[in-house]
Amino acid sequence: MASLPKRIIKETEKLVSDPVPGITAEPHDDNLRYFQVTIEGPEQSPYEDGVFKLELFLPDDYPMEAPKVRFLTKIYHPNIDRLGRICLDVLKTNWSPALQIRTVLLSIQALLASPNPNDPLANDVAEDWIKNEEGAKAKAREWTKLYAKKKPE
Amino acid sequence: MSQIEQEERKRFFNDELDTSEASLNFKSENKESFLFANSNNDKESLSVSETPEDEGELSFSSVVKEVGEDDQDQFIGELQRIIPEMPMSLAVELNEKFSSQCEGLSLALSHYFDHYNGKLGGAMPSSPSQVNTSPDTSISALSPSPSNVRKRKNYGFRNQTRLEDNVTWKRFIGALQVTGMATRPTVRPLKYGSQLKLKRSSEEISATKVYDSRGRKKTSMASLVRIYDIQYNREIGRVPEDIAQILYPLLSSSEISFEATLVFCDNKRLSIGDSFILQLDCFLTSTIFEESSNDDLSFMKKRRTERDNKREKDNTGFGRSLTETDEELENRSKRLALLKLFDRLKLKPILDEQKALEKHKIELNSDPEVIDIDDDEINPDQVTEVHEDLRNTQHEEETMNLNQLKTFYKAAQSSDSLKNLPETEPSRDVFKLDLRNYQKQGLTWMLRREQEFAKATSDEETLESDANMINPLWKQFKWPTDMSWAAQKTRQDHVNLEDDIFFYANLHSGEFSLAKPILKTMIKGGILSDEMGLGKTVAAYSLILSCPYDTDAVGNELFDAKSTEGADDVPSSFASSSQDNKKPYASKTTLIVVPMSLLTQWGNEFTKANNSPDMYHEVYYGGNVSSLKTLLTKTKNPPTVVLTTYGIVQNEWTKHSKGMVTDEDVTITSGLFSVDFYRIIIDEGHNIRNRTTATSKAIMDLQGKCKWVLTGTPIINRLDDLYSLVKFLKLDPWRQINYWKTFVSTPFENKNYKQAFDVVNAILEPVLLRRTKQMKDIDGNLLVELPPKEVVIKKLPFSKSQDVLYKFLLDKAETSVKSGIARGDLLKKYSTILVHILRLRQVCCHPGLIGTQDENDEDLSKNNKLVTEQTVELDTLVRVTSEGFGSSFTKEDLEAVMEKLRFKYPDNESLQLLECSICTAEPIDLDNAVFTECGHSFCEKCLFEYIEFQNGKGLPLKCPNCREPIDGGRLLALRRQNVSPGNLEFKPYTSASKSSKITALLKELQLLQDSSAGEQVVIFSQFSTYLDILERELTHAFPNNVAKIYKFDGRLSLKERTGVLADFAVKDYSKQKILLLSLKAGGVGLNLTCASHAYMMDPWWSPSMEDQAIDRLHRIGQTSSVKVMRFIVQNSIEEKMLRIQEKKRTIGEAMDADEDERRKRRIEEIQMLFE
Repeated sequence: MASLPKRIIKETEKLVSDPVPGITAEPHDDNLRYFQVTIEGPEQSPYEDGVFKLELFLPDDYPMEAPKVRFLTKIYHPNIDRLGRICLDVLKTNWSPALQIRTVLLSIQALLASPNPNDPLANDVAEDWIKNEEGAKAKAREWTKLYAKKKPE
Repeated sequence: MSQIEQEERKRFFNDELDTSEASLNFKSENKESFLFANSNNDKESLSVSETPEDEGELSFSSVVKEVGEDDQDQFIGELQRIIPEMPMSLAVELNEKFSSQCEGLSLALSHYFDHYNGKLGGAMPSSPSQVNTSPDTSISALSPSPSNVRKRKNYGFRNQTRLEDNVTWKRFIGALQVTGMATRPTVRPLKYGSQLKLKRSSEEISATKVYDSRGRKKTSMASLVRIYDIQYNREIGRVPEDIAQILYPLLSSSEISFEATLVFCDNKRLSIGDSFILQLDCFLTSTIFEESSNDDLSFMKKRRTERDNKREKDNTGFGRSLTETDEELENRSKRLALLKLFDRLKLKPILDEQKALEKHKIELNSDPEVIDIDDDEINPDQVTEVHEDLRNTQHEEETMNLNQLKTFYKAAQSSDSLKNLPETEPSRDVFKLDLRNYQKQGLTWMLRREQEFAKATSDEETLESDANMINPLWKQFKWPTDMSWAAQKTRQDHVNLEDDIFFYANLHSGEFSLAKPILKTMIKGGILSDEMGLGKTVAAYSLILSCPYDTDAVGNELFDAKSTEGADDVPSSFASSSQDNKKPYASKTTLIVVPMSLLTQWGNEFTKANNSPDMYHEVYYGGNVSSLKTLLTKTKNPPTVVLTTYGIVQNEWTKHSKGMVTDEDVTITSGLFSVDFYRIIIDEGHNIRNRTTATSKAIMDLQGKCKWVLTGTPIINRLDDLYSLVKFLKLDPWRQINYWKTFVSTPFENKNYKQAFDVVNAILEPVLLRRTKQMKDIDGNLLVELPPKEVVIKKLPFSKSQDVLYKFLLDKAETSVKSGIARGDLLKKYSTILVHILRLRQVCCHPGLIGTQDENDEDLSKNNKLVTEQTVELDTLVRVTSEGFGSSFTKEDLEAVMEKLRFKYPDNESLQLLECSICTAEPIDLDNAVFTECGHSFCEKCLFEYIEFQNGKGLPLKCPNCREPIDGGRLLALRRQNVSPGNLEFKPYTSASKSSKITALLKELQLLQDSSAGEQVVIFSQFSTYLDILERELTHAFPNNVAKIYKFDGRLSLKERTGVLADFAVKDYSKQKILLLSLKAGGVGLNLTCASHAYMMDPWWSPSMEDQAIDRLHRIGQTSSVKVMRFIVQNSIEEKMLRIQEKKRTIGEAMDADEDERRKRRIEEIQMLFE
């Protein structure tokens, strides 16, 4: 196995020493390319007060290839499917090696703030979202409370 | 008797009588200069043999004289009348000897006075004889009576009146008939039989003017040899060119003398251009034999001083001002002339001595037939026989020599006998290590070579060499019958003694001897040439420790300067001093000369091997020993081993040579050259292969009793490399360059490889021991089991800029070579062409190398001016290729983009903190920064990784930062301004400025890092500049925690070298240790078994050098399989170099007899390169 590229080490260090507000990312003890990530639901979004767990994996070709990210916490979101897969351009076609773990996670956070039902991954959710936005948002809030409840400090 | 003769002459030569009468007076005055009988009483000196050769005799009958019984009685009576005391027996003897000659009486008397009158065996008579030299005294007698047959025979030895001081006698070896061409008109017809003389037209022409360096004549020699009329002492004509070629080199010498007699001139006045015929009698004089007995190495040694003393008149005729080369040249030409002369005289070596002797006896007892002089040939019987003889000789000669050689050097080491060599186990008391079986055999062999039979395990085989063996290079000749002009007129009886039938000549060195040349006893020492990694060092120590001091010398007086080789071995440059006061004999010390890089290794090995508390070693390096002489010869327990380097030896030698001129210096008189060592071992002995280098000369001058050469590669480039080793070992007769050339170089040059190699094998067989890793012992096991070795040639394409640069340089080089060939002055442009080639090779490695030197190229080291000189043209080209190429900008686009970038990065400061968003490195190394059109900056490496990745996946290329489409061909880079290097400016980026080899190397190393961590890696190159570049690139490519880079080249001090190697050898699984090794500094001797991967960045001219380098890793101690990768650029000069390597591997390279020859050979290579 090739040794860890300098860049990953650097990114990891930065994530730990200078974390993004509302986001944590910790490398796994056994595999430094595997991160456990939490993202707080953005304010004034249906996901507010929720803490979402994600897993992030840096493939061998990273940073040429985008990291693989998946929600572990159930979430009601038109761009995130039941399996936690995320529909986000920077993780797919718009990936650029100039992007980093930090920017990817920020993009995900932004996705939570502004769902895009026109480019859906979970079709039923998206449909719901277009037909009855308020209802959908309520359901999202409900799910957040149900599944992503902030642990009491 | 003379009356009878006179009458006879009148009878037969009436027509000439008047003129001959006229010349008679003159002749008798002058005869001293021509002829006189030699009355040498030494019977050995007289001989008769019937060798049919008389080309010179066309129109004259041989001299046949009838002497009746009465005459004999009369002769004896006359003798006894004059000297009443003369015993009858002596009188009879003298009668037999002299009565047949005209003036025999006076000859007999002078002989008597010289030899019987209390001066027996004294000097030769010098009293002038009164030989009648009138035109002819012969009688044509077609059927001589038996009684006169013997009288017809000629005496063999005679004197010259105008003897040079050193010539005591001369003896006829044959006669030639030569057609001369008149260069002046004569007033009167030349007299038949008038004495002529041959002279060099000018004595002061230097040899180099007459010959080129290969000994071929440059000028026509016919103009240099003139015929003089003795009577008037003026020039009358010239001889033909072929004869002149023979005569010219020999005329100046006293070793050969000629007598010329006019035999035909048409009886007319000569006009210019008329031809006339003369008989040229050739004689060997005593000088030629003296020389061989005095010093059979005279051609080799720079003994000008001694020689001048010995023979006041230098027989070369050129005196002291000669350089050594001139002298060698002169000798060579003389030798060649002698060969030709022998050929012309039909003087052939005798193949079967017994047969010759029998034939000789038969001739003596029978009546040889009269030679019919009208017949061009001799009598039919003899003719056939002679022709048969000739045919045999010629036929057998080629194979003969080889066979002789082989019998002489009895196959001491056929591989079978090698296997059967007994093993000698060194005593545990002195030797700590365990030897392998083959090493024990080697020890036996080495001890035998030093004639320490007591210490070696013996077997039944006796190693005595045949004492009566004739030196194979010598040939036996029979003295021919004296058929000379003079001899035919002064008949004489002969005394036959078998001892004197033959003389011996070494036609290769031009030496002559009357005694049978017996080969000298064997030298002590030899060449241990086991393949690398078979433990030559250990072998050497096993010998040293088994036999640490000279038992002979120690038994006697310890400090007595007793040398077995004696004055014969006096090093040339100190000859004068060391003859008087001999060097003290360090009988307990072995001197080991090693390359600097191995000094420590040898020291360590000694400590490991030595088990005796009394023995120790001393490193003689860097002035740590004040007086070696005192240490070695005046202390109680001198070191067993003194280790030193080639550099030290050369250094002291240089000082020493100078020291001889000025005052004696303490440091000089007490150093390496102040003592005579018991044993000298030179490690990596091929270091002295070029005998013209100071190192080589210095090593040759070291004095020691036993001499050993250790080398894994006795031949580096050419067969001649061996010559230096042979010379160092003082291996006779081969250390004489003449022998070597004749038997090795010349056949080799004539593509007669088999012969050359056979001879080399024959020479080396007894003194050389070579085992290879492939050899099997008596049980069929490999001598050494080594892990496999895998050499892969990785062929790479040029990178784009390399390609352009290469084509440009190739074009230039080809033009240069072609014009050189066309004009025939390729040799003159030699250095230029070498520079061309060097540049081509450098481009293959890295364009940045252009302008630097190849440290291994002997031919170029002197021309560094040419090499480093960067032409403006080339300079521009390097820039052009690194600029415009690989960029697809149009000029307008480029300007626009550059403008944009200049706006974005207005000054240097703005460039200092650029970050590469891909690897997050900051700041970007500006030398490796690339800029996109949109103005974003990346590391070159990162961006190209991205481009490659995207292309590989068929994805569009976008700027990672702004997602603008980008184009690999539309990038920019920075360049330091020529004017002020601190300032940077933009330039179009070309992906091609990288060397493809470096890219490939990085890839390979990365792969290795990924697959097996902690592997040590060795990277070889012959360009130290390349090592610098590699160091930079590698450091850049691999962070500190991934790889550690070491560099080992000639710039390191001894201490640094040791440090680097020690550090490198330590295994570290977290890092890849990379050793950048300069071929020159580390190609030999080092032990790098800790590494199992090697990369050869560039091919070398000599394949054996590459093998050597690989064997640093692949040797005893290596545990894993060795992988070697050689980087070769496709379709480049490197591929052709591979081909040349192949060629060298199969045939080796011919000797560099001289510089010109070697260059010529390289020119051939060059032509091969540009085919």
